Amino acid sequence: MVYWRIIRKSYRRNLQYRLSHLINNVASSIFGLVFIAIWMGVLRGKAVHGPYDAETMACYIAICQSVLWVTTFMSPGLNVQVGVRSGAVSLDMIKPVHYLWYTLSQEFGRLLYNACYRSLPIGLLLGLAVGFSFPSDPLAYLLFLLSLLLAAYVGMLLFYLVGISSFWTTEVRWLHLILLSLVFGFGGQMIPVDLMPGVLGQLAPFLPFAAMIYYPVMNWLELAPAYSIGVQLLWAVILTAVALAVTKQARRKLEIQGG
Amino acid sequence: MLMLYRKLIAASLRSQMQYKMNFITSAATTGMIMVLDFVILSAILHRFNDVAGWNIYEVGMLYGISSASVSLYRLFAPEVNDFEKYVVHGEFDQMLIRPVSPLLLLLTRNLDLSRIGGIVQGVAVLVLSLAGLAREGADLLWLIVFSPIAILSGGVIYFSMALSSAALSFWTHQMRDILTFTIYAPANASNYPISLYPGWLKWLFFTALPIAYMNYLPMLALLGKGGGWYYPLLAPVAAATALFLALTFWKIGIRHYHSTGS
Repeated sequence: MVYWRIIRKSYRRNLQYRLSHLINNVASSIFGLVFIAIWMGVLRGKAVHGPYDAETMACYIAICQSVLWVTTFMSPGLNVQVGVRSGAVSLDMIKPVHYLWYTLSQEFGRLLYNACYRSLPIGLLLGLAVGFSFPSDPLAYLLFLLSLLLAAYVGMLLFYLVGISSFWTTEVRWLHLILLSLVFGFGGQMIPVDLMPGVLGQLAPFLPFAAMIYYPVMNWLELAPAYSIGVQLLWAVILTAVALAVTKQARRKLEIQGG
Repeated sequence: MLMLYRKLIAASLRSQMQYKMNFITSAATTGMIMVLDFVILSAILHRFNDVAGWNIYEVGMLYGISSASVSLYRLFAPEVNDFEKYVVHGEFDQMLIRPVSPLLLLLTRNLDLSRIGGIVQGVAVLVLSLAGLAREGADLLWLIVFSPIAILSGGVIYFSMALSSAALSFWTHQMRDILTFTIYAPANASNYPISLYPGWLKWLFFTALPIAYMNYLPMLALLGKGGGWYYPLLAPVAAATALFLALTFWKIGIRHYHSTGS
């Protein structure tokens, strides 16, 4: 299948950077350690209601740091804006594969690479620091995998939408930063979203940002609510529809500008 | 020297002000992103009252100083932060043949005006925290006197750490991964009390990455958390020492520069 081939090519291309990334993982783990230390300070000597005792919270943050590399740390705009600026996008659009799936396959290859050379080492390092936590139920692994794939998919679509906005604007850098801060703020990387105060805590679990980080992590910890996969699926469907529609508009825009 | 700096910086400012709208949106976005960051922190502290015995206003003092400091550094030295490209593409050659010191050229080449948004955010957090502390009946005089000193010292400390990283890239030919370690992680860590961190990290923050002197140590004394009266004075002293060491290292590094010859 052609998309699988694109994925494999993209994976291999990324292998070139392996060594420098493996070193960088140590620095990234320090970020994780800082977050864990903050939470230990917050929780020290306090009775916590709900599932978040100090030990669970440490694992939560550690798994978050690992999951981030598959669902959040993607290429800005999935590099769509690069093609738009150089004009290469017109060639990509006339390829016999759909532009959306083509772009997503490219990115997915990179994410597979990230999973092997970023997520695993970082998870290992942080696990050594705070202790490992494995699901007891074999079914949980399956749910986690499904949740992780959906998270990556939702993330890719959001990043894609930022990238394709470059058909109408000149600069996507700021839109990208806004998206990133929304994901960091409401995705659950700093704080499990259900712990947020007031309305925020009730709303955040149903935003697409929680679908990117919070749910896969909670599925690994076997703490996810039953509807978690449902929320992710719903966002996957909605965003797919939006992305397809926007891609169609972009294609039309391209045709108007013409050769 | 200062005259020259003023002239060169004025020229680069003029060129940037051609894109006024871009400046306004970028500064506003940077500020907004950082505000969101603080909102999340407030959410955590709102829920759990304190972190290691520091309440929201006290952490706000740390956060505001660190945030404004790192933005100050990013405002004045974007080309130092981005120095890798000069080494990798051999652009540094051109700087060596000018009659002005390469560091002055780097500093005057560009200002990242979007970081003004970050400074505004940092100062706003400081003002909010001071207001909160006042309501708790704290004595504000020394906190207000010290804040600008802390921000300036912090800016110099961040600059020194970045300059050392840049100097290191004369040997390693890459800097981005080092910056995660020397700027981004410390900037994140210094938003909170240093006492939180495991021993070896704490040790790093008092020595090679001296961010503890900019906000944590002074605030220990000024917020009455124990510690000597002279702690606030350590901020400018640490900044001056760090700057001196970084400049020395930079000079050694330049002598080891090999052009890429492309």
